[in-house]
Amino acid sequence: MRPKPLLALALCAALAVTGCGSGSGSKAGAPVKLLVFGAPEELGAYRTLIDAYQTARPGERVQLIEASDRKDLLARLATSVAGGAPPDVFLMNYRFYGQFAAKGVVEPLDDRIAASSVLDPADYYPVAMEAFRWDGAQLCLPQNVSSLAVYYNRTLFTRFGVPEPVAGWTWNDLVGTATLMTRDDRGLVIKGTEAEGAARLPAVHGLGVEPSIIRLAPLVWSNGGEIVDDPQQPTRLALESPEAREALRNLIDLRLAYGVVPSDAEVEAEDDESRFLNGRLAMLMTSRRATTNFRTVTGFEWDVAPLPVYRQQVGVLHSDAYCMTRGSRNKDAAWRFMEYAMGEEGQRIIAATGRTVPSHVEVSRSPAFLDPDQPPRNSQVFLDAIPTVRALPTVSTWPEIEDLSYGILENAVHRGDKLDDVIRELDTKSRPMFARGEDG
Amino acid sequence: MSGLVLDGVSAAYRDTTVLHEVRLTVSRGELLVVLGPSGAGKSTVLRVVAGLEPVTAGRVHIAGRDVTEARPGRRNVSMVFQSYALFPHLTVVENIAFGLEVRDTPRGEARQRARAAAETVGCAGLLDRRPGQLSGGERQRVALARALVREPDVFLLDEPLSNLDLALRAEMRAELRALHDRIGATMVHVTHDQTEALVLADRIAVLRDGRVEQVGTPDEIWRTPASTFVARFVGSPAMNLLPADGPLRPGGEAPTLPDEPLEIGFRPEAVILDAAEGTPATVDRVEVIGEDAYAYLTLSAGQPVVARVPAVRRPERGATVRLDVRWADTHLFHVASGRRCDP
Amino acid sequence: MLTPYLVGLLVLVLLPALVTLGMAFTDYDLLRPPSWAGLDNFTALVDDPIFRVALLNSVVFALVAVPLRVLLALGLALLLHRRAPGVGTARTVALLPTAVPEIAYGLLWLWLFNPLYGPINQLLRVGGEHGLTALGRTPPQWLTDPTSARAGIILMSLFTVGETFVVLLAARRALPRDVYEMAAVEDATGWDVFRRITLPLMAPVLALLAVRDAVASLHFTFVPAFVVTDGGPPPYATTYLSLFVYQTGFEYLRYGYAAAATLVMMLLTLAAVLVQWRLIRRYRRFYQL
Repeated sequence: MRPKPLLALALCAALAVTGCGSGSGSKAGAPVKLLVFGAPEELGAYRTLIDAYQTARPGERVQLIEASDRKDLLARLATSVAGGAPPDVFLMNYRFYGQFAAKGVVEPLDDRIAASSVLDPADYYPVAMEAFRWDGAQLCLPQNVSSLAVYYNRTLFTRFGVPEPVAGWTWNDLVGTATLMTRDDRGLVIKGTEAEGAARLPAVHGLGVEPSIIRLAPLVWSNGGEIVDDPQQPTRLALESPEAREALRNLIDLRLAYGVVPSDAEVEAEDDESRFLNGRLAMLMTSRRATTNFRTVTGFEWDVAPLPVYRQQVGVLHSDAYCMTRGSRNKDAAWRFMEYAMGEEGQRIIAATGRTVPSHVEVSRSPAFLDPDQPPRNSQVFLDAIPTVRALPTVSTWPEIEDLSYGILENAVHRGDKLDDVIRELDTKSRPMFARGEDG
Repeated sequence: MSGLVLDGVSAAYRDTTVLHEVRLTVSRGELLVVLGPSGAGKSTVLRVVAGLEPVTAGRVHIAGRDVTEARPGRRNVSMVFQSYALFPHLTVVENIAFGLEVRDTPRGEARQRARAAAETVGCAGLLDRRPGQLSGGERQRVALARALVREPDVFLLDEPLSNLDLALRAEMRAELRALHDRIGATMVHVTHDQTEALVLADRIAVLRDGRVEQVGTPDEIWRTPASTFVARFVGSPAMNLLPADGPLRPGGEAPTLPDEPLEIGFRPEAVILDAAEGTPATVDRVEVIGEDAYAYLTLSAGQPVVARVPAVRRPERGATVRLDVRWADTHLFHVASGRRCDP
Repeated sequence: MLTPYLVGLLVLVLLPALVTLGMAFTDYDLLRPPSWAGLDNFTALVDDPIFRVALLNSVVFALVAVPLRVLLALGLALLLHRRAPGVGTARTVALLPTAVPEIAYGLLWLWLFNPLYGPINQLLRVGGEHGLTALGRTPPQWLTDPTSARAGIILMSLFTVGETFVVLLAARRALPRDVYEMAAVEDATGWDVFRRITLPLMAPVLALLAVRDAVASLHFTFVPAFVVTDGGPPPYATTYLSLFVYQTGFEYLRYGYAAAATLVMMLLTLAAVLVQWRLIRRYRRFYQL
């Protein structure tokens, strides 16, 4: 193919402009480049991790590259791979690593794991390890394993005399509790559906939940349904089964029938996490990630409860992993850093942020995670959920599918699109995206 | 009844006073030329009349109405700007009809009158062109037609001929005069060209530093300049001015001179060069213009004098001549005030 | 003397543009080498509902925002071209939003548009009860209602007319003064002066600015849509071509496909420039004076 070298040259020029590629070969002793994104305290934790590593292993150097958010990280990773100077290690959620896994950007680690004297795969939660296997090869090492939980404001529950959620509570219990916790500024129970043009707006909403496929999935699974037609080889989002349909309708009813979740305008005005922080949201369904933020709360007490159950307890896996790029010129040094970060010491440092549930079984059961002095008291909820978590399909086009479904579900929840239309739209519009995708 | 009266009008630009209590009366149907060097405030006079500049003192009357406070559009004047101020995006006929159309004259009638005005000034063949396609003289005609199309109480012309070349200027000067005689309008015409003023004007107002130096017919301005300034400014080459007690004693019957320093002035054509007796002078330079020659002389005491002589009798350069003037051809001015002295 | 500029132009602008042109005919995901795809990307674009929405959004934005922007800038320029007390300050104020970095400007509007706590809706609710306006209407749901969100993006763009304003200010001040005095002597009203003199005399500049703005609007919709509305409210109410290209290229790693969309954007730009060129030719005679 004649034009190829020319194209590569031109591409290099284009990328040199964007500042992505240095093109220079890595010399011995060059720092391992670690690409991550996160809130300031997470980035702080990575700096602590790197400092600890460099102190423990003199001569090793790691350079932190900070992206501003997930989308920025994806763009940087892609452009730097294209430019021929990728970072050595990057951190990525299993929902988004598919496109990199499918396209051979990630270095398989099985040989290194087998040869390692430090790292034993048996030390880690298998569900997380499994999520990063692609075509039978272990591509990345999961740093954490988390699931959804229901955060709740204990102080509000006490004030209004409503029983706190307990393990094994059902979807109906959730709706009932949320209804009781939706209050106006006099503390009286109010129906949030009257919000628009109504005499009073809720001062406290019963529940916050994002209308996304990753929140919906565990509810569907719990009801015995599926979100895609074939979990192994998905070709479309399939929510037409009675079980999936019921879970979806119930999620929509939270807003449209009961008004226990904030309206779209209210969410735009104050997102759920801020609403919870400001004591104006009784419960919030989200992952472990919110913990770091909520630990800044001083005005009230809060805790976590497991997800409500339809028929069986099922959670959805949240997990990020360290991945090594195939194009890395510093693989051995990168592996040594990964070994350290995945080891007890590394896991403990990251666990200290509160953001994650360590994937290392022992560390997750240690005070580093279950520290009784740090809220939530009931962190055990996250560990109890791990045996029940399922992973979402890893398709290379998953980011597109998630964005697509988010828009459709948001309209369903806030605008009351017809359920049949919603399900059909999710089906037909996701088909070409699945068709373009590759699965692992 | 007067067409235009300026009654003690002063005007200022920022902190500088540009007009000092100007008093002028223009009769109906008269063509007054305001003459003066640049910076004398000539254009300001027009702008004050048009209402484009406010007055700081005095009143402006047009056709018997006090318009001092009236906005420009309410004064019923027409103005021809030095730049012509034609609208580049409009055709000639649209330009001419502009004043009518903004005054809500029906379109057809406005066009009709515009065509008539264009014929009056001889630009009827240009109606559909745009200003960018016209020559300087043609633009000038269009600007005139635009001023003519209404029937204003006063026409104001701000150096309308200054952008034309010499030949065209002479031609347009004559046409302008003829036009004035034909329509009999009250006109105020501003120029710095004294020839233009002398040719065109019914009366001339000479302006200097924002003050009226003299108002009179071209004849009066020429024959009895009210000051050394007028004497020097009108006439080319300028009038010779020498100390009255100086080297040159005019011949003829001498008037009784007051006992104060005076200057004596005489025009180059008053100089008699080949006088039998007279003041000796050296010929520095001779310019021949057709039948006439101007001899630039230096008196033995050092003062320069210009003389006009028939070209055939011109002196040689470097020659010594004797020159003389008749008292009857001289003007006397007070040295202190520069004003005319008529003993 | 031009060499550095030409080299810069070649390396920084033309080469990437050519590469993009080439990429548009390939299947390229940034990660694996591109493979030839012919016109596949373009046929896919035609069938892509998101692309069609983005294209429509961009065109509608240009059709609505550009005339409004130019008119607003013209109004400001005509209001502020004279010397008067306070005019200098007013000009600075008119320019200020343009000087704010784009991201910061977006974040500012995110706060302004906040449906419950934002100053705009707080103001609209003055005099009303129960969160309604004084007229008993619900205030605009800027970030959640598609029409309000589109209007919001346009509203945002209306405050960054500083450059257009400066150009028009200069253009107005360059118009000959005596033409206006002429009009005053002829007792033309303000409206007549505007309609018969100012507007036609400034028309060429206005036309050029409108075309420039239309071209620029393909780009300056990006940051507001990216920062403020994130392309929403769903589905794709404020997804403009620029955001579409960014998302497909860098978030979904469909670089070749994004390049094809970019090529469409470039063709639109080219069309706009052609219109501009024709306008210049048409109005050139006005400048012959």
